[in-house]
Amino acid sequence: MSYIELFLIFLRAATFSVGGMAALPQLREDLVGTGLVTEPQILAALALGKLAPGPTGLYVVSLGYFAAGAAGALIAVAAAALPPLSLVAVAGIVRRHLLSGWAAGIVRGVVLSTSGLVIATSITLLAPGGAILGVPLWQLLLVLGAAGLAIHGKTHPGVVIVGGAIVGLVFGR
Amino acid sequence: MRPVELNPPTKPSLLELARAWIVVSTQSIGGGPSTLFLMRQQMVERRHWLTHRQFLEDYALSKVSLGINLVALAGLIGSRVAGVRGTAISVVGLLVPAAAITLVLTVGYALVRDSELVRAALTGAGPAAAGMTAGIGLTFMRQTVRRGWRAGIDYGYAAAVVAAGLFLGATPLVVIATGVLVGAAFLRGETSRASGDPGT
Repeated sequence: MSYIELFLIFLRAATFSVGGMAALPQLREDLVGTGLVTEPQILAALALGKLAPGPTGLYVVSLGYFAAGAAGALIAVAAAALPPLSLVAVAGIVRRHLLSGWAAGIVRGVVLSTSGLVIATSITLLAPGGAILGVPLWQLLLVLGAAGLAIHGKTHPGVVIVGGAIVGLVFGR
Repeated sequence: MRPVELNPPTKPSLLELARAWIVVSTQSIGGGPSTLFLMRQQMVERRHWLTHRQFLEDYALSKVSLGINLVALAGLIGSRVAGVRGTAISVVGLLVPAAAITLVLTVGYALVRDSELVRAALTGAGPAAAGMTAGIGLTFMRQTVRRGWRAGIDYGYAAAVVAAGLFLGATPLVVIATGVLVGAAFLRGETSRASGDPGT
């Protein structure tokens, strides 16, 4: 795959998402579907993204690296920067329509859609093919615990990931 | 209550602006919430480049941005304080240092990923990351649904999307296009509940 095609994959995922995590379902479909990245690598990218500083959504850097090395990481960052910049260009227009009912409805519809897909993708990454019953109980408990901590919002994401890694060292060998 | 903002914001040089964003980018361990906290601290409270009200206006606008919201917020702040060049410096300053650190972490992981210890650690870190990702999705839902009985409609639609993603293999573009149509037709209404979590 050419660098331009890879750039378009990351750009499309960022363009059709609201929020950094919301690009994940499209990226999984495109990158795993083309064989550039594996599902375990997506989980690793999510974990690395939680350990690094910066806004949520920089897991794309790891995905870009897994797909095409350092150039892929650069491509992923460039693609992630462009869609948010489009808002700056049209900020004046958006400010005028932000409070209208139809605009709120569209934003709500898109956010609920992407949030639902993010949850479905998280489950699929854990249990490819929907084989949720094949997932060890300790991993299921980790998922539920981490989800609860993310919702609660008080625990540092890095602590959750490191805690998960320690549990993995105990039960996953 | 916020103090009354008597003094007008000051204008930074491009170098000062870049320095402030590098601080935000490299010290914001903990994702969106800590990044937002540092953005406000650096731009509003410490350097007085914009008022609290301006910051909140730009934050509200950034919530409807495509892609990473806080990148849009950086661009809006940069535009407000230093025009087009301010936008470019702010977005680059927020993204590049954090992305470089992420890249270093990724390269380090790639060097040791075949070790038995790392593979075992990932059997736990992976599910933890997946759980946190699902938790962020749920948090976004809670922040977006309307009040009262309409929340049931919103959650029902979101649950249908989860089911479509899991059991029907629905593609993201189709689901998002559906979200636009369903949202414009059926999900209008009052502003969603106030959010304490800036998310992404």
